[in-house]
Amino acid sequence: MSTETKPEAELKKRVEGVAETLRDQFTFLRRDRLAFAGVLIVAAFVFLGLLGPALAPHDPIEHTVRDDAGSMLRLSEPTGAAPFGTTAYGKDVLSQFLAGAQPTFIVGLFGGIGTGALGFLVGLVSGYYGGWVDEVLMRLTDLTFSLPFTPMALLLLTFVTPSVWLMTGIIVAFLWKMPARVVRSEVLSVRERTFVKSARASGASDLRTMLYHVAPNVLPIGFLYTAYGIAWAIAAQASLAFLGFGDPTVTSWGRMLRQVFESGNMRVAWWWVLPPALGIAAITTSVFLIGRAYEEVINPEIQTEQ
Amino acid sequence: MSEFQRFLAKRLAISIVLTLVAVSVIFVVLRLLPGSPFESLVTAGNLSQQQITEIRAMYGLDQPMWRQYLSYLQSILLFQFGYSILRSQPVWGVLAPRLVNTLILLVPALVTTAVLSSLLGMYVGWNRGSKLEKLSIIATTFLRSTPVFITGILFVIIFAYNLELVPAFGMRSISASPEGYVETFASFDFLHHYILPFTVSVLYYSGDFLLLARNGVVEKRGSEFLKLHRAKGLSEMQQLARAGRNSMLPILTYFALRLGMIFQGLILLEVVFGWPGIGRELVLAIQQQDYPLVQAAVFIMALAVIVANLVADVLYAYFDPTVSTSGGGAA
Repeated sequence: MSTETKPEAELKKRVEGVAETLRDQFTFLRRDRLAFAGVLIVAAFVFLGLLGPALAPHDPIEHTVRDDAGSMLRLSEPTGAAPFGTTAYGKDVLSQFLAGAQPTFIVGLFGGIGTGALGFLVGLVSGYYGGWVDEVLMRLTDLTFSLPFTPMALLLLTFVTPSVWLMTGIIVAFLWKMPARVVRSEVLSVRERTFVKSARASGASDLRTMLYHVAPNVLPIGFLYTAYGIAWAIAAQASLAFLGFGDPTVTSWGRMLRQVFESGNMRVAWWWVLPPALGIAAITTSVFLIGRAYEEVINPEIQTEQ
Repeated sequence: MSEFQRFLAKRLAISIVLTLVAVSVIFVVLRLLPGSPFESLVTAGNLSQQQITEIRAMYGLDQPMWRQYLSYLQSILLFQFGYSILRSQPVWGVLAPRLVNTLILLVPALVTTAVLSSLLGMYVGWNRGSKLEKLSIIATTFLRSTPVFITGILFVIIFAYNLELVPAFGMRSISASPEGYVETFASFDFLHHYILPFTVSVLYYSGDFLLLARNGVVEKRGSEFLKLHRAKGLSEMQQLARAGRNSMLPILTYFALRLGMIFQGLILLEVVFGWPGIGRELVLAIQQQDYPLVQAAVFIMALAVIVANLVADVLYAYFDPTVSTSGGGAA
């Protein structure tokens, strides 16, 4: 047995395995039309999140749209100069929309992953070890359940200057409880299955049993709640920004909505309202539609008949 | 003590501890973070040294921290919230009417949505694969995943601005100056302002109830006890009623949880619709750094969640003895 070719072959097999999983997932999502539409929207959102600010024709805050005579275009309907119209301050709505995707994307991605990962870890440890570990961790989740999210986040954000990363942190600190509870209850049932018991009986350490035998079996539900976490994080970020507690230096979709609402121009300037509003609604709904498709796989009893 | 009584005692004790912790967290957040609201009160007003000392003494700020903490605990747990800094009237006097305004919006909305969307959920769950099922799932997924203020804004634009059917803002016309609760709430003017925020909250909360009810019925549909009922010759509707009754428990406990959490969800709704409730008051109080008002409002919201969680867990344990009474019930 040559020791040199083996890792390579192993690697190749792994890459193929991953590729196949991805293909399977794609075929699966293809079949569910709603979930597939969700995937397309999420893909567009990721694209905007990464490249939005670069695509924006103007600086979202600095640049002022002017007409030929050089006077500022306030609250202009969509025109050639500003395809999405302008704000009350003469700013280009299209540029704000493109740039505003990024903070939404960052908070959604990292808030969601943080929420999912932390919740998964807490649920796994809590469910696996049981006893006082479980007791302590679950009382901690009770505590985050009983501290109302929006008021507490508002309180924290008044005292410290809000930044995108701070908001991500606050969101993770409050939302990990959801996956933690669900993952824990899954772990409780997996723990009792034969293969876990036999792993332990054959001398595997707790850590090893937990990571190699229990964790993979609850991973799907962890991923599902990570996806939901992304939607929650985006909704939370937009809500806080709308209330005026967002990062004041950054253009985000929530902040755009706050400005149109605060300036009292909601009645006329539909072109200023719709892009950020529909952007947020589309991305959160898409994530939930994809999540639903997976929920039906995890829990086939509730499947929609296609 | 029976098993259930022991569970109840333990759960009660936990709730009390949680209340204490939540109250302490509010205390810490409000006092220990930099830029205390009292500093702005002192630096902003042209106060003499003597006045500053008086104010500090009035709010107990000349005491050591642990003493402040103890008197804070004592007063807040007795619902003695002190005086609002900016409104110069008792905090409770400011909050009580706001709380009523919030409750009058949320309780009917929540009851309506729980009843209607659970019934619809059971119906579509029974008729699997129907067009109505697909449609209701798409609609409710949209409504429950989109932040409530966005749904609110879209509804305001359509129904208030474009169709001009209802007012967009407030609870009464600006010219209305009703006295007392009866005059405030029993009027067409109020009803006219009520429809839009009511509808939006009903729609926002409908999704979870609909899916819970649908999934419950779908899971029960293939179960043994229904086969028995079918064999006994019960009609479709009677079977559905049986399956529905058996899916009531999660719906009931979820209703309790939602009732506790609704204050928070309504903050955004109240801001969008200019509804003079406790959530909007909290946002205003935070912006104006009216610190006694803030701590009272947050305390009320936290208490609502803790009580609702307690009720949900107890309901679950009481009605479903198969659930281990040692675990946290509602997930």
